[in-house]
Amino acid sequence: MRIARRMLALAAFTMLAGTAQAQQPIKIGLSGPFTGGSASMGVSMRDGVKLAVAEINKAGGVLGRPLVLVERDDEARNEVGVQIAQELINKEQVIATLGYINTGVALASQRFYQEAEIPVLNNVATGTLITQQFVAPKFKNNYVFRFSANDVIQSGMIVDEAIGRRGFKKPAILADSTNYGQLGREDLERALAAKNVKPVAIEKFNIGDTDMTAQLLRAKEAGADVILTYGIGPELAQIANGMAKLGWKVPLVGSWTLSMSTFIDNAGANGDGAVMPQTFIQAPTTPKRKAFIEAYQQAYKVDRIPSPISAAQGYDSVLLLAAAITQAKSTDGRKIREALENLTTKVEGVVTIYDKPFSTTDHEAITANIPVFGLVKNGRVVAERDEDIAGANAVRTKPRAN
Amino acid sequence: MLILAQLIASGIAVGMIYGVIAFGYQLTFATSKTLNFGQGEALMLGSLVGLTTVSLTGYWLMLPIVLAFGLLQGAVVERLGVRQAIRTNSEAGWIMATIALGIIFRNLAENIWGRDALKFPSPLPETPLSLAGVRVLPMEIAIVVGALAMMLAVETFNRRSIYGKAVVATANDRDAAGLMGINTSLVITFSYALSSMTAAFAGVLIAPVTLTGAAMGGVLGLKAFAVAIIGGLNSGLGVIVGGLILGVTETLTGFYLSTGYKDVPGLVLLLLVLSIKPSGLFGTMAIKKV
Repeated sequence: MRIARRMLALAAFTMLAGTAQAQQPIKIGLSGPFTGGSASMGVSMRDGVKLAVAEINKAGGVLGRPLVLVERDDEARNEVGVQIAQELINKEQVIATLGYINTGVALASQRFYQEAEIPVLNNVATGTLITQQFVAPKFKNNYVFRFSANDVIQSGMIVDEAIGRRGFKKPAILADSTNYGQLGREDLERALAAKNVKPVAIEKFNIGDTDMTAQLLRAKEAGADVILTYGIGPELAQIANGMAKLGWKVPLVGSWTLSMSTFIDNAGANGDGAVMPQTFIQAPTTPKRKAFIEAYQQAYKVDRIPSPISAAQGYDSVLLLAAAITQAKSTDGRKIREALENLTTKVEGVVTIYDKPFSTTDHEAITANIPVFGLVKNGRVVAERDEDIAGANAVRTKPRAN
Repeated sequence: MLILAQLIASGIAVGMIYGVIAFGYQLTFATSKTLNFGQGEALMLGSLVGLTTVSLTGYWLMLPIVLAFGLLQGAVVERLGVRQAIRTNSEAGWIMATIALGIIFRNLAENIWGRDALKFPSPLPETPLSLAGVRVLPMEIAIVVGALAMMLAVETFNRRSIYGKAVVATANDRDAAGLMGINTSLVITFSYALSSMTAAFAGVLIAPVTLTGAAMGGVLGLKAFAVAIIGGLNSGLGVIVGGLILGVTETLTGFYLSTGYKDVPGLVLLLLVLSIKPSGLFGTMAIKKV
């Protein structure tokens, strides 16, 4: 009798513990620059992520457990990113981390997750190397996944647009002296070489440069008929303003950073007409996008999303992580990675419909057919060609690998 | 030929920006033999305060407010960072203190205005003028004229007014000036206030061309420091010429050599001046009696 009672008590205890276990929140890390030159991208990404987390929690969470975010500001600094990675892994014990705007921070921080076997869902940074750091045969498994269009895709698109579609013959490259700019310049040169085009000028500028006369005059004297850019907002604005000053106007075609609010606001009318690859344009072309844009505007009291791409990719990265946890029925890092590499459910995101987006060898959710060209017009980014985001073109999906 | 003229015109505009910031270094060095290494931050604060004020008061009323703010900010730097070091004859205390204050000001600005580059409304039309084929922005002309006018005003004040004469006397010989009844520590505070005032004015003057933001002081402050060394730390004329030399060298090198090496000749020039004429092109040799 006493034994039976004890058994009963034990059973009751385990049940109670079981429910406590079921309601324990799932901790997810979030690392991005929320202050500093890339803050508009970091904050938009964070806000997109928070929207998705709130929606999932409202619907009952994942595996019956709510998601909680552990947000950290990496200030776009490599060493801060590394500290945060160690804190999130060892102290907060997150089950996965979302984020990274800056290629340098991502490259410096990811190795800690790789060692701890915790997945990283890289939702904004575009450096080509990001998903290539831990590939076979040197590493058994790669824990880094990406939701943005990498620089090879972007530079290919830039060259296709400028040389292929618009028929320019004499491109000049203007890139900043950071890792981002110089790695992007290399990708651009390779993409041009594939079309047998040699840039007539390759010019460099530093972060903080206020005068672009020398760079622009060199490009102009070399007879450039289009300028291809790899830089960030403020200096890109100085290029557009410098061209207006010199009374020389050729089209600006560049990486997605031409959609940064610091470019659009500081260049004003001089920036109109610049085009760049975009995975997402703030336009309600599908019910999902309409709902997302309205939810964002309502939650954060803005009309123009500061960086629509970052918000959309951030939002989607949460949906895919949730789907992977559900499929894995576990928060174990290895199982989540396996589930991500072999997702059986189709996930409708804002950017695209993810149907088996990853495999063991392919960790890029975005392929070259997905981004469209955005155009700066009256202080906003719109689709350069309306037909790109209309009808059957509205949702572009990654071709399925067989 | 037209290209050369265009490069020189742009170089002059950039050089004048460097020169007007460097002028502030020169002001405090003359009286106290110390520098405000947060000069770039004084420029940044002036320009951001100007940006906030301009939306409330309009452009012209904003100017005196920014000048007053600059005076106050400079006095605070001197009282907190420099006074103690001068009193104890510390050789390096003021260096660390002014750098530390600069960092604090920058963090403060980041918290108030964020770290994004911001657009500063231009009081003049933004369509460029064409002078015999050379294209310049009206604001670039305003920078050159405004900077020269301000430096002239400060120099006139120092030479003509009784307060200015106290500044010059302190600059010439602090101990003797003290014996003559001049309150030299007040004069030094005043020179810091004046120096930050010129920086704040420079901030609103250049912001329509350079953009503003918490990070704007970093690169510009450093370039201006190089200019002050090239021109000579105790010569007002020197910093103008030094600024023009650096600005024009940068654009010419960028065009004729390579934009990747734009900053190199300026630094080479700095090293040359330091090894051949350490007091700067226009500086007078200071003999330190021990």
